Amino acid sequence: MVKVGVYVCHCGTNIAGVVDVEAVRAFAETLPGVALARRSLFMCSDTGQEMIKQDIRDGLVDRVVVAACTPRTHEPIFRAACEAAGLNKYLFEMANIRDQDSWVHGQDHAGATEKAKKIVSSAVAKATHLKPLEDKFVDVEPTALVIGGGVGGIFSALELGGMGYKTYLVEKQPSIGGVMAQLDKTFPTNDCSACILTPVMVDAGNHPNIELLTYSEVESVDGYIGNFTVKVRRKQTYIDWNKCTGCGACAEACPAKVPDEFNCGLNERGAAYIHFPQAVPKKAVIDMEHCINCAGRKIGTEPKISKKTGKPMLAPCEKACPADAINRSLPLNPEGELIELKIGTIVVATGYKVMGKESFKEYAPQSPNVITALQLERIISATGPTGGKLLRPSDQVKPKTLTFVSCVGSRDERYHTYCSRVCCMYMIKQARLLKEKYPDLNINMHFIDVRCAGKDYDEYYVGARKMGINIFKGKVGGVEMLPDDKLRVLAYDMESGTPMEYESDLVVLATAIESNEDARKVAQVTGLQFCGAHFFRELHPKLGPVETSVEGLFVAGCCQGPKDIPDTVSQAKGAAAAAAVPLAQGKVKIEPIISEVHPEKCSGCGICVPLCPYDAITLKPYGDRPRAQIDITQCHGCGVCTAACPSGAIVLHGYTEDQIFSQIAALTA
Amino acid sequence: MPAIKIDQDKIKEAVQTIVDLGGDGIRNCVQCGACSAVCPGVKAGFPVLCRLLIRKILNGQLEETIEEVSTWGCQSCNRCTEVCPQGVRPQEVVFAYRRYQAGELAMSASAFGPQMSLYETGHAVTTDATAANREKVGLNPVPPTALQNKAAQKEIQTLLDESPMADLGIF
Repeated sequence: MVKVGVYVCHCGTNIAGVVDVEAVRAFAETLPGVALARRSLFMCSDTGQEMIKQDIRDGLVDRVVVAACTPRTHEPIFRAACEAAGLNKYLFEMANIRDQDSWVHGQDHAGATEKAKKIVSSAVAKATHLKPLEDKFVDVEPTALVIGGGVGGIFSALELGGMGYKTYLVEKQPSIGGVMAQLDKTFPTNDCSACILTPVMVDAGNHPNIELLTYSEVESVDGYIGNFTVKVRRKQTYIDWNKCTGCGACAEACPAKVPDEFNCGLNERGAAYIHFPQAVPKKAVIDMEHCINCAGRKIGTEPKISKKTGKPMLAPCEKACPADAINRSLPLNPEGELIELKIGTIVVATGYKVMGKESFKEYAPQSPNVITALQLERIISATGPTGGKLLRPSDQVKPKTLTFVSCVGSRDERYHTYCSRVCCMYMIKQARLLKEKYPDLNINMHFIDVRCAGKDYDEYYVGARKMGINIFKGKVGGVEMLPDDKLRVLAYDMESGTPMEYESDLVVLATAIESNEDARKVAQVTGLQFCGAHFFRELHPKLGPVETSVEGLFVAGCCQGPKDIPDTVSQAKGAAAAAAVPLAQGKVKIEPIISEVHPEKCSGCGICVPLCPYDAITLKPYGDRPRAQIDITQCHGCGVCTAACPSGAIVLHGYTEDQIFSQIAALTA
Repeated sequence: MPAIKIDQDKIKEAVQTIVDLGGDGIRNCVQCGACSAVCPGVKAGFPVLCRLLIRKILNGQLEETIEEVSTWGCQSCNRCTEVCPQGVRPQEVVFAYRRYQAGELAMSASAFGPQMSLYETGHAVTTDATAANREKVGLNPVPPTALQNKAAQKEIQTLLDESPMADLGIF
């Protein structure tokens, strides 16, 4: 006969403030199989855990039920306590009377107490049928993958590489650097972004343990922690990077014209181009989507032979290349090159994009002089389209009055309800840089409220006021186009309660940070989850900020939520440290709560095979016929196969039929 | 100006009154001021519109604001609703406040004439200016609307008699 110990937690007032804990404890004592029932203010404290351990050591209990919070955060703690006292840790069961009871029925004390009794009796019923299970271990591939080559990805890769692990850094653009490479200077120190980022990019490019896979995208991720198989697709460039010296001659020769994404579409680049002057690796690519197939020669065909000279007629890019690195005769392969990697752990740092101005009809997006803040960043950057001079796009004339509009698309139910966190600061930065350079420039900034929570940030903001930058509280309601490329700003000064209306030469919209379009694909291939705002969901907002619900997968940077550079770098290094743990241990545990086929009962019908979301089931010969077999390293214990098997041949350990039925019986008693 | 005393019951009553009268987005307001930035009424010199009206209600200043004429300056252009980032629908709040004012008969004297005209003729504002032009082109000087349709006028009167307007005793 089993001896179940039931431990009911007060969780301070989290549970005890609603549920009558003593009544639940007394009720638990009456349940069949229960040897004793106790309660404690905090079961997870040392005292609470010691209570369980002592009862096990004294031989009073051999099954443990803790009625407390969520297994998500606390099951490992209590399992460890059972194990420390010599009990198999899978003889532990948790009853969630906080998240599923006291938190949701805060106003109904009697009802919540009754529900707690039900939840406890269900857990006890299951506990009486629990069987000991054993963990399994598998070896780990000591290799890391970082997806995304922005500042977050670069720092994750440098950390992992620095610890001695082979690290692949995958970036979809031809160069690493991400959005930070597009910035002019960075707040609150006004460091030149290129000056602090470029050396780090070079470090990553030269690191003996880091392999850059730029112009590439992750195609699939299979397997499990420690043993991922990752397929990376490298886009075809038509330029042999072993030969390319990054001289840029092909880019100059290319006659195609495409908006330059690095300069936010403010100028044009060729189809053959180098991503930006400080690119790492500094290699050219030919972007086939925009290649105009010069001289009527289709890509993948041999050049025509000139009747005059008898020599092949080459395309301008081929002709210009002094290194002979371009070969347009190669057949077009839209699939690119597929590389397969064996990976232990993965850091996802896919970053963000800023919203375009098009959605905001009220701010005259049709005017070339209404720009996004990232566009302004390119305009004031030395490597930008104007060489760092402030010139408005419509006529390349220096503006006299400049207006900043905050919270465009952020803190807005129509677009994104969250605060993008960096806009206040980067607008103040841009205003300060411009005021320093052009003291006669009139700068008006309109905020809903100024958010400067960070080290030295508020001082930076107060400094902007001292410099004579006008700061108004109140959101701009509209921008209208006027003749002569002027703009009328309709604003409101909240402090004086009066409307404001004035003419401005340039309007800068601080548009929201939002997740990259590619994030959806990354989520599909990795199994990562999104939060409501469409950023990747971390395991726990406070205690698991870099971990995710997929074991072996970690997140860093703006793909997890908007953040500034210091926070991104901190999180990137944190994610790298967490991702290195399994690599350092050399082996990972496989929880035994997975499914197993009893081949003698299996009819080989194969229903389970396509149902398995993890492709863990195959039909393998057993005796005279094929039977289902489950790969324990692939199985996640979801139970779909168990529920679907018409022969009842599949057992999900930890959720066996008798365990589930006993729970149902207890709940419906 | 006397200082406002924060009275939670008063705030609750003020907000509930406006919510019940149709201004149910009022609690979403974060006081960004975008509504007032585009409001033609505010520009015309009616300061207590959208943003400030909402603030006063959220402070519980319902009765104290009852004589405010700004609300009657609202032209229902609805630009406030277009630009509001929080889904407050400020124009609905203004109209809810107007309903509150009307319920207390706190509307301008000039509003009573059109109300009575609406009840009697089916049009709040009638004009003789077009009559001559209509006659010139051979039309009846009175347009073919409720103005010359007794049945329609009766219907309008029935509707108004059944509405909260009847309780005001204007007709």
